[in-house]
Amino acid sequence: MKKFMMKYLMLNCSEATMLMAKREEGKISLKDRVQLYLHTSMCAFCRKFDKQSLLIGKECRHVHTDEKLSVNAKEKFEQLIREELK
Amino acid sequence: MEKQAIKANPQQWLAIYGDQLYQYTLPRVNDSAIAEDLVQETFLSALKGLPGFKGEASEKNWLFTILKNKIIDYYRKKSKEREVIATPDLKGADDDWFNDEGSWAENRMPKDWQVADNPVERKEIQKIVNWCKDHLKALQQDVFTLKYMEDMESVEICKVLNISSSNYWVLIHRARLQMRDCVEKHWLKN
Repeated sequence: MKKFMMKYLMLNCSEATMLMAKREEGKISLKDRVQLYLHTSMCAFCRKFDKQSLLIGKECRHVHTDEKLSVNAKEKFEQLIREELK
Repeated sequence: MEKQAIKANPQQWLAIYGDQLYQYTLPRVNDSAIAEDLVQETFLSALKGLPGFKGEASEKNWLFTILKNKIIDYYRKKSKEREVIATPDLKGADDDWFNDEGSWAENRMPKDWQVADNPVERKEIQKIVNWCKDHLKALQQDVFTLKYMEDMESVEICKVLNISSSNYWVLIHRARLQMRDCVEKHWLKN
């Protein structure tokens, strides 16, 4: 009985991590939400996955390069802008 | 008091915003020539639209809005040029990551790691995140970039990339698994 319950009530890790992606857009039902909560409260791996994925998503927005426009491009753009403004 | 409209100052654009626009674009398209083209197109569109600039947004926000549209156009064009729409193999999608019961495969189980909230560690993790993103497979990379760097909704992303919603969720799920795994490997190596 317990096994049966586990199988039908509990998500596995594959399903849980997929639901985490959907949860980001609020696209999961209350049932999914409860199931996800139950799963992560018992699964340390999925808890880590969730926390670390949130961090990655957050830092993504701040990614930028230190590289600058090439001198060639700058000269080209300068001329272009000057022409357009004539 | 009447709000003073901000006046555009196109002579200064390149000097003030040139590098900023480029530095925003490059990690999002992952190619310096394409990034330069998009910045150039942004300046040209902005110059053409100059009469319509009413100073409601700051000049900087206005230029970035134009640039973001250019980046999305670039992805739209790219998806049209893709010959075969790569349909992810839905069956067996989780093969690498999970075992038959859907639990984490032994070599893929997430490990413990944290990033301290200080500028040095954050800069380091951002570098790793960018590297890992650049090494995602083609369509996974597009989906991931639009979702997490451009902050778009899945519905819009499906339209831009011309993929179905079920494809989208498989792609983003796999991209997230891949990203976390890659970031972990590089972060723990440090």
